[in-house]
Amino acid sequence: MNLDPVATLAQAILLLLLAPVLSGLIKTWKATLQNRRGPPIWQPYFDLLKFLRKDMVISEHTSWIFSVTPYVLFLTALAAGLLVPMVSARAPMSLFGGVLALVGLMALGRFFLALGGLDPASAFGGMGSSREMTISAIAEPAMMLAIFTVAITAGSTNLSQIVLASQGPGWKFLDPSRALAFTAMFIVLLAETGRIPVDNPATHLELTMIHEAMLLEYSGRYLALIEWAASIKQLVLMSLLANIFFPVGLAAETTPVAFGLGLLFFVAKLIVLAGAVVLVETTNAKLRLFRVPDLLSAAFILATLALVSTFLFT
Amino acid sequence: MNLLPDLRIVLDELTERFGARIEHAHAPQPNELYLHTKLELVGALCSAFYKKYQGRLAGVFAEDARAERDVFFVYYLYALDAAHGFVFVRVPVPSDNPELPSLTNAIHAVNWQEREIQDLFGIKLLGHPNPRRCVLHDDWPEVYPLRKDFDLHTKLPPFTGARHRFREVEGEGVFQVPVGPVHAGIIEPGHFLFSVAGEPVLYLQLRMFYVHKGIEKLFESLPIPHCVRLAESISGDSSFAHATAFCHAIERVAEVEAPPRARALRTLCLELERLYNHVADIGAICTDVAFVTAHMHAMRLKEAVLRVNELLTGNRLLRGMPCLGGVRFDFEDDQMRAAAKLVDDFEKEFKDLVELIRSHSGTRDRLETTGVLKPEVTRNLGIVGIAGRASGFDHDLRRDFPHAFYDQVRFSVPIFTEGDVQRRMVVRREELFQSLGIIRQVLEKLPAGPIQTKIEEVPSDRVALGYVEGWRGEIFHWIHTAPGNRLARCKVKDPSLQNWPALSEAILGNIIPDFPVVNKSFNLSYSGTDR
Repeated sequence: MNLDPVATLAQAILLLLLAPVLSGLIKTWKATLQNRRGPPIWQPYFDLLKFLRKDMVISEHTSWIFSVTPYVLFLTALAAGLLVPMVSARAPMSLFGGVLALVGLMALGRFFLALGGLDPASAFGGMGSSREMTISAIAEPAMMLAIFTVAITAGSTNLSQIVLASQGPGWKFLDPSRALAFTAMFIVLLAETGRIPVDNPATHLELTMIHEAMLLEYSGRYLALIEWAASIKQLVLMSLLANIFFPVGLAAETTPVAFGLGLLFFVAKLIVLAGAVVLVETTNAKLRLFRVPDLLSAAFILATLALVSTFLFT
Repeated sequence: MNLLPDLRIVLDELTERFGARIEHAHAPQPNELYLHTKLELVGALCSAFYKKYQGRLAGVFAEDARAERDVFFVYYLYALDAAHGFVFVRVPVPSDNPELPSLTNAIHAVNWQEREIQDLFGIKLLGHPNPRRCVLHDDWPEVYPLRKDFDLHTKLPPFTGARHRFREVEGEGVFQVPVGPVHAGIIEPGHFLFSVAGEPVLYLQLRMFYVHKGIEKLFESLPIPHCVRLAESISGDSSFAHATAFCHAIERVAEVEAPPRARALRTLCLELERLYNHVADIGAICTDVAFVTAHMHAMRLKEAVLRVNELLTGNRLLRGMPCLGGVRFDFEDDQMRAAAKLVDDFEKEFKDLVELIRSHSGTRDRLETTGVLKPEVTRNLGIVGIAGRASGFDHDLRRDFPHAFYDQVRFSVPIFTEGDVQRRMVVRREELFQSLGIIRQVLEKLPAGPIQTKIEEVPSDRVALGYVEGWRGEIFHWIHTAPGNRLARCKVKDPSLQNWPALSEAILGNIIPDFPVVNKSFNLSYSGTDR
């Protein structure tokens, strides 16, 4: 395990600060496209502050799992974020297995969240947990396959290595394997972040919820941590998508100029991706729950094709 | 007796068949026939109306007449859509041991209504398949609020009765999901208990009546002119329809008719009410499948209608407009122009919205084949209004029993047989286009003249039925007048009471996450159910 303390601290701060505004941006743009005047993009910060200040109401039927879940979720999301190169081509932390560790961290968080949904034994939490697990059972392998496609070309599962290898003259996005893998990853992004057509983050109808159903019993500080973790996870997945498939402008040297430029490119890529998510969310209705596996299977198949075509076209 | 020819035939045939067992027949209005008979004849008459005259049991209610006659009266209201007439069968129930044979085993449509009689009057049901408490929950003490000897201002002790026991559904992997009575949206209370195996719903139990307000009792305590305002508040989204149905009943008792201009304005307002509710429902159905863009456009259109409502009547929900003998306000020329402009703008924009929804395959996929209510079930449960018309039940009071100005305008009644969420949305869509046509015709043909017929004191001990096809379905107000310009009884029948059980049928075989959109496609009123 490698760890660069300064870079780790810097990236952790970046993750914590940038994640809410990305959620805010998506919300505001969605509102604009729906002819509404949305909340300011800073709203998620205010919400987090509000939740942090509030008292918690916790069901007396809960066990320690309920209280541990927000911290596990928050820490796994943060740790996963440290494995992904964001501004610099070199991620501040690398664990054994690289990208496998990242997928594992996310799975750990999800596992605890699903338990946290079940723990208070409320009517909706269990429903959310069961749906979440069904969906992730297909989304997770699709994501692994898509990343392996890129890892095979780079000859490493270390994300920094992948990014460094795909930089330079050899990089072409229109490579069929990359295009397919990107599409698969984008669908996984929609599923993992609970977006339409898989889940509706803006609904109040408990019976239709997936991600939100698991959070219904949380309040106050715990809710703030979970919400924050969810937006960090979204940022991590989006930067994975942005930097693996478009490794442009990542700082290779450790100069302030390179870092400034890297940050600029990073934010620009995120904004484009957020725009894509907003477009998908506005132009689609939610799928019937039993159709969601079809969509995710499509992602899985695309990722498989991507993997096969790496061997065919090289 | 001045009676419609078709009803005259019905009466003659029934008199021939039952002879003196039909003790008395009278018809205060040509389309409203009363048959006074004995309890034994209830079943035979019911089967005659269903089998021979294509009638349907549109309502059952009771009245406390112990002071005058020492009996309770139970009324069965049959709507003979083809004959364009209403027939009431009145039977006495002795006051010392009040018992009523139940019709629910034959006509499922009256399940809740019969139980209401049992709860509110203490008339015991005989042979009812599920004679448990309904309108007054299980924890209520033994009181019968609609009996005359129950004082309106009675303070009941804290409720200590038994809790309601839901039916249990057993099996491996079967879970109960309780939802409500307090919900996430700003809606009224209602409890839904789902029994599910995974996502598919095996059984849904509804429990309504959390907000019993005693409105029917209140009617008996107010002078008649004040009752109009009370009728307005029975169900917020049908304010105008309910108040108009009430005024209609009073006018029939007083044997006056609202002047033509007033009837035209009533029709205009009824259609405006339909307009804003239907467009809001179409939007709400879209938002329940997360197609929010269409919802936002629908809300914009609804707002346009509400603003014109305010401009025309001073109230966004048309409150304060209805009054006995006509309407409260006449419209000036510029108000008429605003209404005409609304129709034109609305039609253009609504067509765009329809196209947006129609071309959206994702929404269509969610709505088609979801929440199917089969035509047989619909007839059996007596489902009325839009939900009935989406499942092949072809009736509409505007066409079959023209009230207000509906005999002067041309329109068609859209009927579908598939009975899914999509068709319930399409019925609304088609009715909206018809409504726009009706408003145009009304504005064109608007008669000149007064907008009110003065009604002084209403004669006592008369009965009459007021009826209006509200946007959700048929609304009935049946009244019995008392001396001193008051009411002895006012029975309010909102379509929601009739339609709630349809939800339990429509959801069978669907999955839980589709429930909200199925529920929204019916969009029933909690308040109208539990007056």
